[in-house]
Amino acid sequence: MNKKNQGNFLIWGAVVLVVLLACGRASLSYAIENTECMDCHGDESLSRLQSEGMKERLYVDFNKFKFSVHNLNSIGCVDCHADIVALNFDNEIPHPAALAPVNCSGCHTEEGDAYKDSVHKKAGGKGISIPCYACHDYHYITHLDSSSVYERENTFCLKCHNPGNYHDWLPQKDVHFSLVECAVCHAPDTSRHVSLRFFDFVQAKFLEGEEFLQALNTDYDGFMGLVDQNNDNVIDLDEFENMVLLLRQKDAIGTFHGEVVVELTPAVHHINKGKANRECEQCHNPNSAFFQQVQISLNKKDGSRAQYQVDRKVLESYYVNHFYALGGTRVRVLDKIGLVLIFGGISVVVVHLSARILTVPTRRRRSKDRRHK
Amino acid sequence: MSHDKMMYVHPAPVRVWHWVNAAGFVLLILTGLQIRFAETFTFFTLEDAINIHNYVGFVVIGIYGLWVSYYFGTMKIKLYFPDLRTFIPDVIRQAKYYGYGIFIGEPNPHVMTPDNKFNAMQKKAYLGLMFVFLPAQMITGLFLWRVKKFEDYISLLGGLKIVDTVHVLLFFFFCAFMIVHFYLATLGHSATAHFKAMFTGYEEHH
Ligand code: HEC
Ligand code: HEC
Ligand code: HEC
Ligand code: HEC
Ligand code: HEC
Ligand code: HEC
Ligand code: HEM
Repeated sequence: MNKKNQGNFLIWGAVVLVVLLACGRASLSYAIENTECMDCHGDESLSRLQSEGMKERLYVDFNKFKFSVHNLNSIGCVDCHADIVALNFDNEIPHPAALAPVNCSGCHTEEGDAYKDSVHKKAGGKGISIPCYACHDYHYITHLDSSSVYERENTFCLKCHNPGNYHDWLPQKDVHFSLVECAVCHAPDTSRHVSLRFFDFVQAKFLEGEEFLQALNTDYDGFMGLVDQNNDNVIDLDEFENMVLLLRQKDAIGTFHGEVVVELTPAVHHINKGKANRECEQCHNPNSAFFQQVQISLNKKDGSRAQYQVDRKVLESYYVNHFYALGGTRVRVLDKIGLVLIFGGISVVVVHLSARILTVPTRRRRSKDRRHK
Repeated sequence: MSHDKMMYVHPAPVRVWHWVNAAGFVLLILTGLQIRFAETFTFFTLEDAINIHNYVGFVVIGIYGLWVSYYFGTMKIKLYFPDLRTFIPDVIRQAKYYGYGIFIGEPNPHVMTPDNKFNAMQKKAYLGLMFVFLPAQMITGLFLWRVKKFEDYISLLGGLKIVDTVHVLLFFFFCAFMIVHFYLATLGHSATAHFKAMFTGYEEHH
């Protein structure tokens, strides 16, 4: 095949593929609508008896499902419960009573691959099975992006682990757990960023993205234009300062809190025994890569967020007083003051000592004079 | 050299306090340097540095308790309080001595006695040191030790970074203090006289 033919082949191949995929999707979602399932599964009392006499609820709350990230992306019931190809209403149960487990990795292939190399997947071999939805849940998944460390840990790791048991070596472990997401240390392949959120003193809470923008009288798209005066797409220290002033003028009295969260990439699933980051110096170091990316995070209603790049110097300023990674985000002016103090001390000694040495003859002479008297 | 006049100026609890405190300070300064400048100093691993700093910090706080109890228990704390009527002229006299008299061999205007062992400048310096700077350093240190536990107090003070700023500025001050303090301690009637006195309790009198 020559080059040109190869190109044509690829293009036609792609077209065919797209058409096939479109038909496939269409046939699935047009064949069986979510509402058809909800006729039965929208009934709160729908349940079945388990072998031990326990009741298993088969109810799906459509009002919650409606706002799930899957529904918002047009993933319907049968996209996940893919072995239901048709509903046969001649039977009491219009589909097989025992359905195949949902295969999340079918769509989330990269996450599926990443997950293979993790202690949780491997734990399955020991008779325990940890499917994706043990962490993520399934019907009511929302975007994870704008979740705080607290929410991320509560919805995931803390369901099964008590980190208090494992980190006795870690100074300030409770501070770490509340400001550093588990995966930042436990999935060291991920990249991460410092997420800044505005805490309002008057209302004593973190402002939602929209509330924050309202306080500034702008919106998600207008924010950068308002704040980033030199249009370099980064909020520099002086621009940050102006924003704080502006907030104060608009009676939004508060302060910025920071926390370290992972970037949402498949690599967050690379969690393995003994692979966690235990080198404190990696963070507690002014050149640390952990503080390279700083962002103001404004969450949106659907759980996603808008992020705005901030210069890391802001972390080293007194505008972020409640986030301080010992050494890592230290205020540099203090070090200069320190140098002056220490060199001041040394110079006092050196000058005084030199003067004493230089004046030795004087003292000798005077003491001789005194003795003569 | 006349040995006739040996004067007991440093009672045992003060000597114990002093050397434990001094050793503590040296360790706190070394580990403190590493904690703040982990990229430059690697005396220990950062983990160890933090642990040592915390333990030694408590030793220094504990021994400060000894110092306070001793001085208040015996009411010797009066040593530290200058006589307000003569304080200013005394300071000027003492400063003149350090800045001039000492070079031409004039005698120290302050004559040490067990009841009045500090000169006016020392009183002023030690008073600030022992009642303001050191306690401030201990309290900020305590807060930094358990940030979560003292969260409310820290917020009240304006945040972690403010508390840390106080701790760090005092830290630098103490570094400078140690240098000058050591030097001044060599200014006795011989270079080692004051050091010996801090071990034996007795200062030679002239
Ligand atoms: C006519 C009512 C009805 C309709 C319509 C219906 N189901 Fe069911 N479904 C049931 C009943 C009843 C059960 C319980 C089966 C049993 O007793 O084990 C069930 C069970 C299930 C289960 C659990 C299966 C298992 O493996 O444990 C799933 C998943 C499910 N349905 C999904 C769907 C989906 C998706 C749709 C729409 C395409 C749908 N159902 C439509 C009545 C219905
Ligand atoms: C993102 C994929 C996904 C979508 C979309 C989805 N489900 Fe499920 N569903 C699951 C998973 C995973 C389970 C848990 C066990 C399993 O693998 O069958 C489950 C379980 C169920 C069950 C069993 C009861 C329970 O809650 O555990 C029912 C009934 C059910 N689904 C109905 C529905 C209906 C109706 C819809 C559409 C409104 C729907 N599902 C959409 C993934 C999905
Ligand atoms: C041990 C818990 C756990 C398991 C099991 C797990 N995940 Fe995750 N997953 C996470 C965490 C933690 C994040 C990061 C979210 C956060 O920090 O808020 C994440 C993020 C994601 C994301 C968003 C990031 C991205 O790559 O776009 C997807 C999608 C995802 N997981 C899919 C899956 C799939 C598919 C499986 C099963 C193969 C799975 N997860 C199994 C914990 C888990
Ligand atoms: C039919 C394909 C499909 C299946 C099956 C599926 N998903 Fe998704 N999932 C999607 C799509 C599409 C999105 C939206 C992606 C986006 O917005 O970037 C999504 C989003 C997500 C997100 C949010 C990621 C983020 O950026 O915040 C998570 C978490 C997730 N899925 C987990 C699961 C889990 C767990 C299962 C299995 C129970 C599953 N998915 C099954 C298609 C699927
Ligand atoms: C559904 C329960 C569950 C959730 C949620 C969960 N884990 Fe696990 N985790 C386990 C199990 C089970 C093991 C395997 C224990 C074993 O192999 O001995 C494990 C093992 C681990 C290990 C290896 C330690 C060991 O003792 O083997 C680490 C580290 C770990 N998990 C971290 C996390 C983190 C971080 C999260 C949050 C992203 C998380 N886990 C979420 C159940 C869970
Ligand atoms: C500052 C980094 C850091 C943070 C944050 C952190 N861990 Fe760890 N964790 C470690 C290190 C280091 C170990 C020691 C074992 C190792 O080398 O992996 C460990 C050990 C563990 C273990 C024991 C398993 C093992 O690998 O020996 C579990 C389980 C665990 N962590 C869960 C969590 C959970 C859950 C969170 C979030 C609440 C969390 N960790 C937060 C660094 C961290
Ligand atoms: C930084 C930690 C230190 C502090 C806060 C400190 C403070 C003091 C105080 C308050 C006194 C008066 C003692 C008393 O109450 O009787 C004193 C005396 C003394 N200190 Fe320190 N000291 C420190 C470290 C050191 C070190 C490291 C040395 C030696 C190298 C030293 C040498 C002396 C000497 C010799 C005296 C007696 C001075 C005199 O009699 O004039 N000190 N110190």
